[in-house]
Amino acid sequence: MKRLTNILGIALTAALVSAGVAAAASLGLTSGKLGAGSATVSGCTSSSLTATRNVDNSGNVTQVNVTSVPQACASETLAVTLQNSAHTSLGAASTTVGTCSGGCTVSITGFGTVSAANVTAYALSLTE
Amino acid sequence: MRRLHIKPLHLVVAAVGGSLAFSGVAYAASLGLSTNKLFAWSQTLTKGTCNQTSPTADDTFVQQGSPNSTAGGTATTLTIKPTAGSQDYAFIRFDLSGCSLPTTAGADSAVLSVRVTTSGADTISVFPVTSSWSSSTLTWNGVSSLTIGSTATGTFSASTTGTKTVTVTADVDAAIKAGTLWGWELRATSGTATIAIGAAENGTAGNRPSMTLSYEK
Repeated sequence: MKRLTNILGIALTAALVSAGVAAAASLGLTSGKLGAGSATVSGCTSSSLTATRNVDNSGNVTQVNVTSVPQACASETLAVTLQNSAHTSLGAASTTVGTCSGGCTVSITGFGTVSAANVTAYALSLTE
Repeated sequence: MRRLHIKPLHLVVAAVGGSLAFSGVAYAASLGLSTNKLFAWSQTLTKGTCNQTSPTADDTFVQQGSPNSTAGGTATTLTIKPTAGSQDYAFIRFDLSGCSLPTTAGADSAVLSVRVTTSGADTISVFPVTSSWSSSTLTWNGVSSLTIGSTATGTFSASTTGTKTVTVTADVDAAIKAGTLWGWELRATSGTATIAIGAAENGTAGNRPSMTLSYEK
């Protein structure tokens, strides 16, 4: 009886390993895609940055300024979305972080006509 | 010789482990991580109002005809006169320290209100002041040392008495970020009449300057 259990166990293990290989093959995974995924562990900052905005005399946002962006973030893309109280986008724009000494202040324009009075949050992201 | 025993529990663990590994790879592949999102965050804003009235106002008028006079600092009306060689300019500001706004805050809207008590066919232009002054010391001769914008923020007609408003959102927004609001110079840019507006010291509360302010921080 014990011998029969062992035989069944070995057979089941072989079946599972085969199934795993088959699943990997069906996903069409290549070593290049896996390498791209592992690169996400390196970020240029782990701290929340502070954004302010300027307005024209009509109260529309003319630019958003993100302060103290680390120098390590140079050449990365900083994107800002202006959101209302329902977290709906009122306007979005992005720019490439330039090189600077110390912390950079990055100014972003091009949000269209967005009344500052309607903006209740900024959503920001840095991507390389 | 010891035999290898594979129990059903071992197989379950092995199967689940394999499944998770493949699932993780599948997610990575489906996200298409060729561009890597490194960091994302959000910043929520607080909205509020901090309207200004006479207790936080400081105002004066300076006289070209009395270039060292500080009498305008205690006057109950502020005269504005375009007469060449005898001009009068008015200055108004508000102390926003009671609003407790950090320099990262901003104005969503701001409107300056003044009450014309003596009318005349003048256009009064409102220019931003960005350097310090006090009604107790400012004189005509002292105006040249102030930093005053060359472009008017707004204008109003003084041809009738009553309340006149000028939108000053951009000026107040910039002042919040600078830390202090130094207000405005009011002068006639057309017309020949001498007009007057109520000062913060005016006996009638409705004649005094005020400002509505909506902010974010």
